[in-house]
Amino acid sequence: MADIVGLTIDDKEVQAPEGMNLIDAAELAGVHIPNLCYLKGMKGIGACRLCLIEIEGLKAPMIACNTKVKEGMVINTKTEKVLEIRKFVIDLILSMHPLDCMTCTKAGVCRLQQYAYDFGIKESSFTRKRFGYPADEANPFIKRDPEYCIICGKCVHICKAQGTSVLDFMGRGVEAKVITANDRPLQESGCTFCGSCVDVCPVNALLEADRWRKGREWEYEKVNSVCLLCGNGCEITVSTKEGSIQKINAGAAEGSAERYICAYGRFGFDCIEAETRLTHPMKRINGELKETTWEDALRTVADKLKRSGKDVGFISVAGIVNEDALVLKKFVKDVVKTENVNTTMSLYADSDSLRKSHTADIDDADLVFLVGLSPSQRERILPALDAAIRKKVNRGLKLVVINSSEAKIAEASTISLKGDEVSNLKAIVRVLIDKGFKADKEIESSVKDAEVSEDIEKAASLFAEAKEPLIFSSPSLFWASANISLLKGKIISVALESNARGVALMGLTTEGKTYKEMVGTAESKEQSAQSGVKVLYAVGEVPLNKRPDGIDFLIVQNSHLTELAQQADVILPSATFLESAGTIIDYMGRLKYLPQIIEPQGASKSHRDIFIHLSKIIGSPLKRPAEAEVKKATRVKTKLSFSPFVKKEGFDISPSELIDSINASVINGSRLLWLKEIERAMAV
Amino acid sequence: MRADIKIKVCMGPSGIATGGADVIEAFKNEINSIGKKAIIEERCSLHQVGCLGFCAKDVLVEVVVDGKKTIYEYVKPGMVSRIVKEHILEGNPVTEWIAGEEYYNFHKKQIKVVLSNCGEIDPEDINAYLAVGGYEAARMALTLMSPEEIVEVVKSSNLRGRGGAGFPTGLKWDLSLKIKSDVKYVICNGDEGDPGAFMDRSVMEGDPHSVIEGMIICAKAIGSHQGYIYVRAEYPLAVKRLQIAINQCYEAGLLGENILGTGFDFDLKIYQGAGAFVCGEATALMRSIEGKRGMPTPKLWRSAEKGLWEKPTVLNNVETFANIPRIILKGADWYSSLGTERSGGTKVFALTGKMKNAGLIEVPLGITLREIIYDIGGGIENGRAFKAVQTGGPSGGCIPAELLDIEVDYESLALVGSIMGSGGMVVLDETDCMVDIAKFFLEFTQAESCGKCIPCRVGTKRMLEILNRITVGNAKEGDIELLEELGQDIKVTSLCGLGLTAPNPVLSTIRYFRNEYEAHIKDKKCPAAVCKDLITFSILEEFCNGCGACKRACPADAIIGKRKKIHKIDPEPCIKCGTCFDVCKFNAIMKM
Repeated sequence: MADIVGLTIDDKEVQAPEGMNLIDAAELAGVHIPNLCYLKGMKGIGACRLCLIEIEGLKAPMIACNTKVKEGMVINTKTEKVLEIRKFVIDLILSMHPLDCMTCTKAGVCRLQQYAYDFGIKESSFTRKRFGYPADEANPFIKRDPEYCIICGKCVHICKAQGTSVLDFMGRGVEAKVITANDRPLQESGCTFCGSCVDVCPVNALLEADRWRKGREWEYEKVNSVCLLCGNGCEITVSTKEGSIQKINAGAAEGSAERYICAYGRFGFDCIEAETRLTHPMKRINGELKETTWEDALRTVADKLKRSGKDVGFISVAGIVNEDALVLKKFVKDVVKTENVNTTMSLYADSDSLRKSHTADIDDADLVFLVGLSPSQRERILPALDAAIRKKVNRGLKLVVINSSEAKIAEASTISLKGDEVSNLKAIVRVLIDKGFKADKEIESSVKDAEVSEDIEKAASLFAEAKEPLIFSSPSLFWASANISLLKGKIISVALESNARGVALMGLTTEGKTYKEMVGTAESKEQSAQSGVKVLYAVGEVPLNKRPDGIDFLIVQNSHLTELAQQADVILPSATFLESAGTIIDYMGRLKYLPQIIEPQGASKSHRDIFIHLSKIIGSPLKRPAEAEVKKATRVKTKLSFSPFVKKEGFDISPSELIDSINASVINGSRLLWLKEIERAMAV
Repeated sequence: MRADIKIKVCMGPSGIATGGADVIEAFKNEINSIGKKAIIEERCSLHQVGCLGFCAKDVLVEVVVDGKKTIYEYVKPGMVSRIVKEHILEGNPVTEWIAGEEYYNFHKKQIKVVLSNCGEIDPEDINAYLAVGGYEAARMALTLMSPEEIVEVVKSSNLRGRGGAGFPTGLKWDLSLKIKSDVKYVICNGDEGDPGAFMDRSVMEGDPHSVIEGMIICAKAIGSHQGYIYVRAEYPLAVKRLQIAINQCYEAGLLGENILGTGFDFDLKIYQGAGAFVCGEATALMRSIEGKRGMPTPKLWRSAEKGLWEKPTVLNNVETFANIPRIILKGADWYSSLGTERSGGTKVFALTGKMKNAGLIEVPLGITLREIIYDIGGGIENGRAFKAVQTGGPSGGCIPAELLDIEVDYESLALVGSIMGSGGMVVLDETDCMVDIAKFFLEFTQAESCGKCIPCRVGTKRMLEILNRITVGNAKEGDIELLEELGQDIKVTSLCGLGLTAPNPVLSTIRYFRNEYEAHIKDKKCPAAVCKDLITFSILEEFCNGCGACKRACPADAIIGKRKKIHKIDPEPCIKCGTCFDVCKFNAIMKM
């Protein structure tokens, strides 16, 4: 931890860690220093000049966004001089900015409006000038309106910091503006529509495209939650109005490298009200699916389950919350009394690697080893991990990429080790042992023949020097990588679904038939596969489009009418993650809460409510899991020990296919479909 | 008899512009054609030399016969054959073309340190540089001196940054020397962009080796092994000559690995700027070399501590580096004694504007403005009255006649509201409108602002708008005060030097010529008769003889009158182009 220094800000004594920017230290003291261009956690760029403050002993005012705290400093943030300066700057900005606050969507949260109010500036005292630049409205996600832009540069800096680099400045003087390459529309500029720029824009220059007259921020209720669409489990802030979701923003703490969400997380919520949304249970009558009552649907299912017992198989996605997982596990084992339950997690991970992963925080790390992983914002494979690592690299993190195939993120790495991962891991351990790290005899003997290259030496040196090394590994390489973490640091097995780790900890793993056995393996996509069970109960949007052969009865419990659901005998409509409460354990091992944000659509219910209802009908009623039960399940000893240096086989599913598959209804039921089509067209 | 003949033709920017290349060509042809080929070919050498300095007299040609130097002025290709015939063949210099008294006065008060080789040696030939003691200083620094000793010499020479801000060079080097880092950089700032300034250009074109030598010495002093010369791409000749010089240095073992066998390594590269004025600002320049957009960044650290790629970096101007070899060779005492107590040595100025002798000059610091303008510059052209001298380019200010006796150094110029700057000096006379001058410079800075910080991006534009309305007669009461207020605020709040100094031309002209501003605003008159919207043209009946010259020349058919009768100007169609004023031989056109 950094040393603490004491200073005085506006007569208040403040204790702040050494190296902190004055602007952040002032926040600690409850003093807001006006600013328009400062991005917490990043270097102050000093563009807006609003944060100029006076430091006793110095003649000229200093910018608080880029001046570090020092012991004994005495700061005045509201002297006559700096107030005059701020007023002058706001006055100048207003001379270039529309004064249409009465209809502006950002009214109420616009920083410029706030400061103009604070200084009592109704309109600029200078001649007003506007350029009449056209807005970019050619996409359904982000409206970019240069007329409102105050060139604070936040969007440019965040876009560059996370490695997307779509926006930049062009032109000089008063004609300087933010543009994409060649000023093309966003969709032709490599934009991923993550919307990070929207989150940072202090004015109305970057905004969700559908916000015009849909309510302003003070009308919204804001709730923090978690996105469950992929393995990153990002924190989100959901804004609702009159019971429906208006927008979603990144929810991680300001300044954290994890403050990022992708286009799926930000814009996928449209799917809640999609045409394919299931609002009533359905049942196949005379070969046709018809709406029915919960009573009828559940009775039919209960009947079937009771009669089939061990011939029933349950498959589920691993993006369900802990509470659902716990109830499902009990339902399967205690009510239906079968051992056949498995999740999609088994397609890419062994549950032990997830259970034994450490709990970590990327913001604390100073070195990251990325083993066998290719996070990518563009392909939306763990996009937030990609963004967080790149942001951290910009802040000084060292990155070592160990991957036998091409990983785009290697471009941000300090060292990229290509070739067989296991050999490289062995070699690194060998160098570390040579450097004096103590290791078991078993480890020592298994690495003694490893070949060492110059890059391996460098990677090992980085590891040896690091204070908080953190290894992110693909589950298949977890055990081999874990041998390094035996020497120092932490290791995380990175799964592809949001609650894979929670599902593993809740014990929702099979003791009977595996996922693959239950869905069968088809020779090709056109052929159907032979299932190992008679009754198949699919929970969530499982990556399965064809009803396997040998299934007498198919139950699909999902929020949307999928291809598989259309082949089901009974469909039970479930709530989405925004419509039911619960917890997850994210890939970093942190317990995250999801409150219920809106009422479920139609008659849909949470997964666990459906199981509990069924259990009552079957005659062995289950209870809702208590909070303590979840917490107890998360308590696992993560003491690792030596494992052989091998890559685990059988986890070869394509990450992008899996993620698109489990989110098919989200994509097809929202404006993301437009993006997918554009991306497909651009790829051709 | 052995006749040693040398012909030096000025091929500096002005020399080239006035046809120096044709003059050289003519000399080549003439010398070939005068018959005594064998003798001449052996004895005569043609040098492409750098700027002789006295641009107003270009093309200047120096003819050396048996060590006797004769300087011809205003040489045209057509004059060459007579010079060759009478002077070189017959030994009788063409007296009527020889540079006169003015040429010698121009040089009398000058002391050439940085410019000592300019115009004397061939800048594309390392041997020419070596022959005048070139790279001796580098040899000394590399073989005999410790880094601390070099820094000490530079410190006590009192040399201050010639880029304009005047930071003590030795102190800068010392800061960098004391920081431990395996990578350090030396950067030469050759992004000279002030309108009317061509000091650095002349040095880079006329004596590139002195800059390189200065950089080598600096590299040794701070322990750097990589240097960059940042030259604007608009200086193709400077780029070409620097590149030739660098190549020659690599061949001669003066750059690269193990320089002069001392074990010291130093690589040097040219980086061409793409034309943004702001890239002359240190942090923007470094961002530009890093491959980023040339935008200034706040200085949390001095560049000497964290500069290029966050490594300790010494960034000095061309002229600063060119001074270094001379200081090392001749000693700190000699150099510091040339200047004042606070600033040692000499300074090169690009003297332009309304005086008789425009050109590139080098004077000891502490000289008065009066000496520069009247003794060296020869006073104002056409007997007009001196009004002001603008120093420091768009970052500087205008100094009025009553302050002509101040001594030129960093502090005294700052005290009167201007700056030393990189060395532009524009002399203004009674026909210059001070509001118009201020507008000219502000137009430049507001267009060249990088757009990053609000005061500079928007504030300078707003100032310019006010100046515009003053010059077209739409100004309001209180506009001067508004300009002053805006200017002061911009000076306090801007991020980099560009914005911090941009209001200077406006503020200094208001300070000394407030009455001119008031005349524009209150009387709607431009006293210097420059601002078109505020002047009218009329014909003075007593001088007009009805020759009709003005009527024929008027592009707007605004002049009426019969031949031999007094003419009249119809103000309605008149576009105030001033053509009538220029063509009238009888001073019958009045503009006011």
